[in-house]
Amino acid sequence: MTEIAYRLLDVGAARLAVASPIEGFHAHLDRIYPHHEPIADPAFADVRVALLPRSRWRVRGRQVVLWADGQRPFEPYPYDCALPLFEWGSNYLLSQRLNAYLLLHAGVVARGDRALILPAAPGSGKTTLTCALHLAGWRFLSDEFGVIDMDSGELLPMVRPAPLKNRSIDVIGTRPGAVLGPLFPKTRKGDVSHFVPDRDSFLARHRRATPALVVFPRFQAGAALQCTPVHRAQAVMRIGLNSFNYQALGPLGFQAAVALARRTAAFELVYGDLDDAIAHIETLFGEVS
Amino acid sequence: MSGNALSDIELLMRGVREPLDIGEARWERLLRIARASGLHARLAAANLAKATTTDVVRRHLLSSARIAAYRAQMVRAELFHLTPLVTDDFPVIVLKGGAYILQGRALAEGRFVSDVDLLVPNEHLRPMESRLRAAGWQPEKLDPYDERYYRDWSHETPPMRFPGHSLEVDLHHAITPVTGSLAFDPASLFERSEAIPGTPFRVLCAEDQVLHACLHCFHDGELDLRVREVVDIDGLLRTFAAHKGFWDRLEARAAELGLQRPLWYGLHFARNWLDCPVPSAVSDALPAPHTLSRAAMAALVPLAMLPPDPDFPPPLRVRVARTLMRTRYHLLRMPLHLLLPHLARKTLRRLKARLDHRTEAPSEDGAP
Repeated sequence: MTEIAYRLLDVGAARLAVASPIEGFHAHLDRIYPHHEPIADPAFADVRVALLPRSRWRVRGRQVVLWADGQRPFEPYPYDCALPLFEWGSNYLLSQRLNAYLLLHAGVVARGDRALILPAAPGSGKTTLTCALHLAGWRFLSDEFGVIDMDSGELLPMVRPAPLKNRSIDVIGTRPGAVLGPLFPKTRKGDVSHFVPDRDSFLARHRRATPALVVFPRFQAGAALQCTPVHRAQAVMRIGLNSFNYQALGPLGFQAAVALARRTAAFELVYGDLDDAIAHIETLFGEVS
Repeated sequence: MSGNALSDIELLMRGVREPLDIGEARWERLLRIARASGLHARLAAANLAKATTTDVVRRHLLSSARIAAYRAQMVRAELFHLTPLVTDDFPVIVLKGGAYILQGRALAEGRFVSDVDLLVPNEHLRPMESRLRAAGWQPEKLDPYDERYYRDWSHETPPMRFPGHSLEVDLHHAITPVTGSLAFDPASLFERSEAIPGTPFRVLCAEDQVLHACLHCFHDGELDLRVREVVDIDGLLRTFAAHKGFWDRLEARAAELGLQRPLWYGLHFARNWLDCPVPSAVSDALPAPHTLSRAAMAALVPLAMLPPDPDFPPPLRVRVARTLMRTRYHLLRMPLHLLLPHLARKTLRRLKARLDHRTEAPSEDGAP
């Protein structure tokens, strides 16, 4: 059979390969992965997928399917939403395959090589806060995956575009320096637009960071800022809860969560104002440094 | 051993048994077809100890090995929870994956188990089901048609699950569909079963385990990507080959239960794909299927069971082969006068569901 032209994306902790005949998809990729140079050699990819259009004659609109290893793990998306399908689908596949690491469901930013981990359930404003911190000068490691090497306890960056949803799009988009990809209105999760991490973060995508602080963020409209220390034992449990594979890793996951809670202080942060939250986090981080 | 001249499939079949010496790009393709066929953790079991694999390959092998170990742990946990329900008034046999784990078989390592299958004598099926329900296991919600289908035509009850547990429990009263041509009285399965020391469970005897694996592989369900079941058959045969008199007992038992056909296919494909050391005296002694069936199976089984090129959607010939094998399965399972109304009903319902279903996007929060 003919060779397929895959596009390789090295995002730090993982390499993705994607092929698609859909030109609009490649234009979208160019916009949200602006710093990626083409990688020529057919290197190993952790996730390799193809985004293929379905019949153009379908009554309720043309669709695109994500194919991975000869299978279609997800339902099709509308044809012009290949990018959100690729981003979401490849993240899902990564979450299944990176069990060599403890995978936290967390935003991660760093000052130099000292990392702030923001573990949170979906809907807590984790992505928004991660992007806002990045715009305030922090290095962007990930808005979704806290990838922890269980031998050293270090964090590996996974520098991918951060999917902002609904109101977060304006909240982050209007901040100075914010670069956003195309807007995808009315997807399953509402409006989606991808925030693009800066070039320095991209270039540092293989530079590991040491955990320095854990903050469990929770955005609550109109709430006054409230920050409470989280006891170590409690922190272990909450780290486990906000993990993709804590349970599957068994004793290894437990030991890694305990090690993380032992080396860093942990706080719960409820906030209604993003700038208040950033200022408070800066102070907390200064105190643990 | 260098594997660069081998096809992907040959490499996969070798890699589930012994360490491979191949480059990263080849490993990636191999991992992809292994994932598609559920053999990636078997690959890990055979290759993790090898020192020459690169870090990135090792990471993927480790990842699948850990998930398989976790799933095996979940099987042990489920069996542990079931233990109090198994009393000595009737035997409870653990089938397939659960049995291999309980017995500590080599083939259990890196083998994904998706449910716990239990076999009880027909007259004790309802009591066992009531016990499970009373202890908190809940049956899957089914409409009355599916419920009746399970009760009357199938050899198992609808799957049950304890709330919060990841595994389903399937209760069987036979290992063949009761309406199929291979149906036999399962009484002797219990007579020959063996106790698992330290547990109240029993397992099928060696020969019956092999016959069940063959039956399950070629006569129970669709064949799509089910090469892993041939890997099971190969693993069992290699384990038992060392037992004195095993092959003779296997042959005699297949004849006794009328399971020579599934055994023939099991031995055939295990030998062809995995170099399984089946003595030719054994395979020669089995009545071979008709030349036509053999030719059809030789053409269709590899297409349906083996993973196709991972870079492309399955080609037409693969889709056709899978459909034909599915048709064969349905025909083996029930006579036409039962099958046609059943399939018509299922198709109508699927069409209706499709018409009712306005949005086709996936749920983005849960598993797909």
